[in-house]
Amino acid sequence: MSIVRTMGATVGLAFGISALAGAAHAQDCTTKIGAVLPTSVDWGRPIAETAQFAVDQVNAAGGAAGCQIEMVLRDTQVDPKVGVDAAKALVDLEGVNVLLGAVSSGVSMPILTSVTVPSGVLQMSCCSSSTAFTGLATEGKTGGLWFRTFATTGVQSAVGAKVAADQGYKSVAILYKNDDWGQDMARLIAADFAAVGVDVTASVAINDAQPNYRAEVTDALTSQPEALYLALYPAEGTAAVREWLSLGGTQNMILANSLKSDEFRDNVGMQYLGSALGTDTASPRSESADAFRAAYQERFASEPNGPGLANSYDAAMIALLAMEAAGKDASGADVAAAIARVTDPDGTAVSADTAGFVAAKEVLASGGNVMFQGATGNVRFDANGDVSAPAVIWSFSDEGTEEVEFMSLNDVDAFMASLK
Amino acid sequence: MIQHLLDGVLTGSYLSLGAIGLTLVMHILRFANFSHAELLSLGAYAALVCDALVSGLAPFLTVKLAPLSLTGALIIAILISMVLTGLSALIIDRLVFKRVRERGQELSMVFASFGMALIIRNVIGLIFGLSPTLYSRDIAFAVILSRDPLILVKPDQVFVLIAALALMFILHLILSRTTFGYSLRAVAENPSLAQVNGVNLQRTIMAVWLIGGGLAAVAGVFYGISHQLIPVMGRDLVLPIFAATIVGGIGSVYGAVLGGFIVGVAANMALVVLPSGYTPSVPFLLILLVLMIRPHGLFGEARA
Repeated sequence: MSIVRTMGATVGLAFGISALAGAAHAQDCTTKIGAVLPTSVDWGRPIAETAQFAVDQVNAAGGAAGCQIEMVLRDTQVDPKVGVDAAKALVDLEGVNVLLGAVSSGVSMPILTSVTVPSGVLQMSCCSSSTAFTGLATEGKTGGLWFRTFATTGVQSAVGAKVAADQGYKSVAILYKNDDWGQDMARLIAADFAAVGVDVTASVAINDAQPNYRAEVTDALTSQPEALYLALYPAEGTAAVREWLSLGGTQNMILANSLKSDEFRDNVGMQYLGSALGTDTASPRSESADAFRAAYQERFASEPNGPGLANSYDAAMIALLAMEAAGKDASGADVAAAIARVTDPDGTAVSADTAGFVAAKEVLASGGNVMFQGATGNVRFDANGDVSAPAVIWSFSDEGTEEVEFMSLNDVDAFMASLK
Repeated sequence: MIQHLLDGVLTGSYLSLGAIGLTLVMHILRFANFSHAELLSLGAYAALVCDALVSGLAPFLTVKLAPLSLTGALIIAILISMVLTGLSALIIDRLVFKRVRERGQELSMVFASFGMALIIRNVIGLIFGLSPTLYSRDIAFAVILSRDPLILVKPDQVFVLIAALALMFILHLILSRTTFGYSLRAVAENPSLAQVNGVNLQRTIMAVWLIGGGLAAVAGVFYGISHQLIPVMGRDLVLPIFAATIVGGIGSVYGAVLGGFIVGVAANMALVVLPSGYTPSVPFLLILLVLMIRPHGLFGEARA
């Protein structure tokens, strides 16, 4: 294998892949993995194609755990019932030990509780962000079978608290959208504000489709905060903020990423948004992320700009690396346990491509650990299967938005640890 | 507390205007018109277009009438929009409701109105886009009336309240002092008997739609001035307006006025007693409460 690897590195990747592909034909076994993704919606299909891209690269490297990999893809239609049926079929009929998906937290959750955990199947989601999973994992109800390569809303709330602390705000009122996401955000940000010593004067739910938000805004205003935190969508965000400003509320605002919109900026007015700072998670600024971008462009002839693409790639790749590490005929729990071996910060660094997978095979075979450097950077799961992500603090500008500060993964992790 | 009360009265002013039109239509044409709130959107957007037209034709009218955010152009636009919306209501009646009324039953009318509401809302969305729009991007700042307790009032909203009260007074005069007002009430009481006595039924129905549409247009514009224009505003307003109508008693113009203010105040005061996530339930609770105590509403009368 070392000859092949040298070839891959020196002669060029394309030649390496074809040589490896030739070797792969010698195998006569196929291992199936499952994928439940919303392929019937326009942004869901690229997520599935990106996962397949990772599988193709692994197959070019001779497959995982000695077998070629076949990814069996089922559509969730972003519907929990359809998703659970699809996952059940994949586990019971196709006999998969590894399941990729789903995208929405609302679909991933019932699959986790009613399919993968009872059957002992590893579930790796590219895109679910709800902190409900963290809660479930803390209670030990995921059996260590749940992982996701998408940062939880916790990252954004932590950065929101950092903005308040950096700006020296002593007190903040919160307006949040009254849905799962907004309630989650409001709960998290209140705890994070408390951790950095910022007083939360009021936390007011904004319901959808109300004629006006005067009463809600008045409630937040009478608590006389130094700043306002907004976890709203543009439509009700515009209404609430205009009401807030017209009543003489402060222009010191901290905005969740949902308000990063031209519509919001234009309708509220740039002249009032000078002291507004927004938060968002960001893609890492690392070589491995750039390499993924280049590889993606070569394969699909477009930039990986859709949601969750880098995360989907890493989810598939890490699952396959873990299958390799767990060896032939491993159970879902074995594969889940092996994830720590392929995302070990002290392990040998491997790149996210065919050559990297070949290198990882060698290290793992000799009993070593590897550190996967993926499309979302050096992925590192915590005890709950959650990952962190780099973050940006942004502000509105005349052209759109501009970056105020970039926080690397280490900065975010260090800051989140300081909140605990 | 005082602030919430005040805000409630100001909110109530455009709800009342909307409810007056609805109560007239519901009483005289005897059906629950769920598309009435869409006439508010129609009026608001019609005024948006007229405002742009008038501003273009007569730029001197675009100066703001301080301390209001209102311009002369918008006031003219409101008048044009009243006529346009009233005519639209007439056309909708001709094309849809009249045919259903002649052949269908009361329930068919209700369903037809649901359908009409969807059509109007989506056509507005198609033309103007689904994002919010504004008459004026500038924010009209509130005036501080008192610092302790903090009481804030927006000049625009005071204007809205006064204008709404003035319109209601004019309507009151028409209904109580003119022959037309009597014939309107006669048709509401008993259409056949009214016809026998020489009241032109068709013309009365037309008048009801014109008045209802015109008032709805004003209510829509006032809502747009106070908050923002969005194609789904009819959907957001239909419930409070229905609540105002039912609380006031179907058919009673004065009931509708009072109902509008009650619903506005209750929705604003709700936050004092309820957690903010539960405030949308207030109009429902009000309807239930009133129907349990006075099944025909505060000013309504049982009809044979």
